[in-house]
Amino acid sequence: MADQVKQTKPRIKTETRRKIISGGDLAFYAVDHLFFLVFTITCLFPFYYLLINTISDSESVSKGIVNFFPRGINLQNYIALKNVNALGSAALVSVLRTIIGTAVMVAASAFVGYLVTKEEMWHRKFFYRFLVITMYFNAGLIPWYMNMSMLGLTNHFAAYIIPGIVAPYNIILVKTYIESIPKELEESAFIDGASFFTVFRKIIWPLSKPILATIAIFGAVGHWNSFQDSLILMSDAPNLYTLQHRLYIYLTQTSDLKNIINDPNSPSAAAMAANPKLIKYTISMISVIPILLVYPFMQRYFEEGIMLGAVKG
Amino acid sequence: MTEKKKTIPEEPCHPVYSLQRILALLMFFLLFIPTANPARVCDLVNKNLSLLTSAISWTGLTSDVGRGFRAGWVSESSFRLIMAGSIVMLLGICVIAVGACMSFGNNKLKRSSFLFSLAGPFITVAGEALLVLSSSRIVEFARANGKLDRVYSGTLNGFLVGKSFVPYPSGRMILFAAIGALLLILTIITLIGTPAPEKGEKAQMESRYSLFLMFLPFALLTFIFCYLPLWGWRYSFFDYQSGQTLSKESFVGFKWFKFLFENEATRNDIFRVMKNTLAMSFLGIITSWVPLAFAVFLNEIPSKRFKRFVQTATTIPNFISWILVYAVAFAIFSTDGFINSVFGGNTNYLMSSSHMWLKMLLWGTWKGVGWSAIIYIAGIAGIDRQLYEAATVDGAGRFQRIWHVTIPGLVPTYMVMLLMAVAGMLSNGLDQYLVFSNHANATDMEVLDLYVYNLGIKGGSIPLSTVISMTKSLVSIALLFMANSISKLVRKESII
Repeated sequence: MADQVKQTKPRIKTETRRKIISGGDLAFYAVDHLFFLVFTITCLFPFYYLLINTISDSESVSKGIVNFFPRGINLQNYIALKNVNALGSAALVSVLRTIIGTAVMVAASAFVGYLVTKEEMWHRKFFYRFLVITMYFNAGLIPWYMNMSMLGLTNHFAAYIIPGIVAPYNIILVKTYIESIPKELEESAFIDGASFFTVFRKIIWPLSKPILATIAIFGAVGHWNSFQDSLILMSDAPNLYTLQHRLYIYLTQTSDLKNIINDPNSPSAAAMAANPKLIKYTISMISVIPILLVYPFMQRYFEEGIMLGAVKG
Repeated sequence: MTEKKKTIPEEPCHPVYSLQRILALLMFFLLFIPTANPARVCDLVNKNLSLLTSAISWTGLTSDVGRGFRAGWVSESSFRLIMAGSIVMLLGICVIAVGACMSFGNNKLKRSSFLFSLAGPFITVAGEALLVLSSSRIVEFARANGKLDRVYSGTLNGFLVGKSFVPYPSGRMILFAAIGALLLILTIITLIGTPAPEKGEKAQMESRYSLFLMFLPFALLTFIFCYLPLWGWRYSFFDYQSGQTLSKESFVGFKWFKFLFENEATRNDIFRVMKNTLAMSFLGIITSWVPLAFAVFLNEIPSKRFKRFVQTATTIPNFISWILVYAVAFAIFSTDGFINSVFGGNTNYLMSSSHMWLKMLLWGTWKGVGWSAIIYIAGIAGIDRQLYEAATVDGAGRFQRIWHVTIPGLVPTYMVMLLMAVAGMLSNGLDQYLVFSNHANATDMEVLDLYVYNLGIKGGSIPLSTVISMTKSLVSIALLFMANSISKLVRKESII
């Protein structure tokens, strides 16, 4: 197999090298490259623009001369964020919900995903459908909200975690993956007297790590970006707002932002208060950075990730 | 020798056991229903509080009593007693549940389950006794302070005998006690019917049942968060204002359904909102070929590196939230954003109300096209190379190859995506339209999801927005089934 690949590779290379590029092809390539280059820039530039503005000195930013390159690089804005009210607690809530929520979801998906592969389970088909069918309907925003308040989950941190424990999509992904693992592995373990939990812990969990990493990454991004639950459920508990929700509040606040800064006498805070758009930019950067940091890891799982949209029960 | 005694077989699905489990399950669900909350011993306990919440959340339990505590006509200790009673009841119900689960086992395990099934109802009733006690203490305390009317607005749940108050259990308590009594009777029947386990028999359970019991907590979670909200549809038939309870008096039948069409202002709103919703969805459907084209033309680029780079960069926007998309929009298009500082000017483009549909479509495309293209890129990778070679040999040019080989290979995937888009026609999502809307452009931006949010959560008209939520859900399900049957008809394959 490996030899075959080695043999065919050079052949293809020489073929492409030998190909004569016609004028029409050249034009096509030029247009094609140009289009993708422009679109790529529109995707990247806004983040770059935010970055250079937040690391430039605020005077240049005020003059509006920081457009393509940073001027007077410093981290004043990021340091000044410590003076922004409620930002610390919002970041903490976001980090906590991302870590706890993802961990619980992944553990539950792995366990339930394994359970539903067990054909001898009592009424397995029924319960599996019971789970999967919930992907295709929902009662609507208001009934959901009324339900959450009936359960006492409004204005409570648990509202970020508990509803996300059972994630049908992810359970299907894990189930499909586990079914591709040779049955003999667990069967022999069972014959050797291993219990259900031992098999799960020692065989299923380690072998399904690739798919668990996939759902972990996508789940974490979902938690980090999630905004609706904070907006709707936490109306009376501002200390439980997520970072996204805080950012939304700051972005849409049309009145001056001076009142969100405590200790306005410190020089960094004063500079920031003088230019409120920098507060908005810097908080935006803070919210983007974690996504950009996990992004390289995510790319490895894109292929599995598309399955998220395409798998069937 | 046990032939005669064996009146109930070991089979765990015997009707007596099933009945027992159904009752246990019923009791478990009553934990979540505020209307059935026995801990509501007086008017001071929040009407929307379930027994579970009263047992685990002190702030929830005392949310309506703050003034009473401060003014001193409610003693905190009596509320502690309510919480204690709730906790004991919760414990009792848990014990009952454990007993019901254990009854799936063999005779030996069933024997031990009786211990739980017998103790559970007693613990539950003991909790109720604490609640009754707390109610009497609250009344006596309030009466001593002359604020009895604050504690009970209607009739008292008991008799006043001199200075002391003799309460009687409420209907809600009787319900729990009745279920408990029934469980007790059933347990005694099974206790007599179950033969003594053979000597040396170990307590165990068939794996089919133990697997089921491990699955059960997750099934319950699914029920609570995905099926129980359907119970909230009942609000559409009541005159409800937040904080109140539903009662026979507030039942209004189809009033709100009629209101939707009879009230002119609402009707105009609905027409406008539906126009926005359908316009956004149709624009989305009309441009649904864009990711496909994106994938096809990206595939024509020979350099693997460049391809990879483009793919990496264009997928980033998909992974940031709509808030961050708005933050980006803010940085570029606001008054002192990029556009204005480069080209000079003072326009806040985000506040303009022109071409809102088109702008929203463009933002949606910017965010989603790179990601949506991935599925087609994977599709292209799956097309047989020999087809391309054959086409080249036959003299097909680049565009002919694309048209006759690549596109036909991607059409099945495209059809699935298209049908899913049709099925989700009413769900544009809330986030995008919420963050981009402001007083200048709100009229053209309000899609159905945003309208429901504005009406129900912001405006507080729960019944009317429930009517809309409910209709939307039903229509969406109908659309999904329609799309699915079309798919079955055309592709002989279902999409769900």
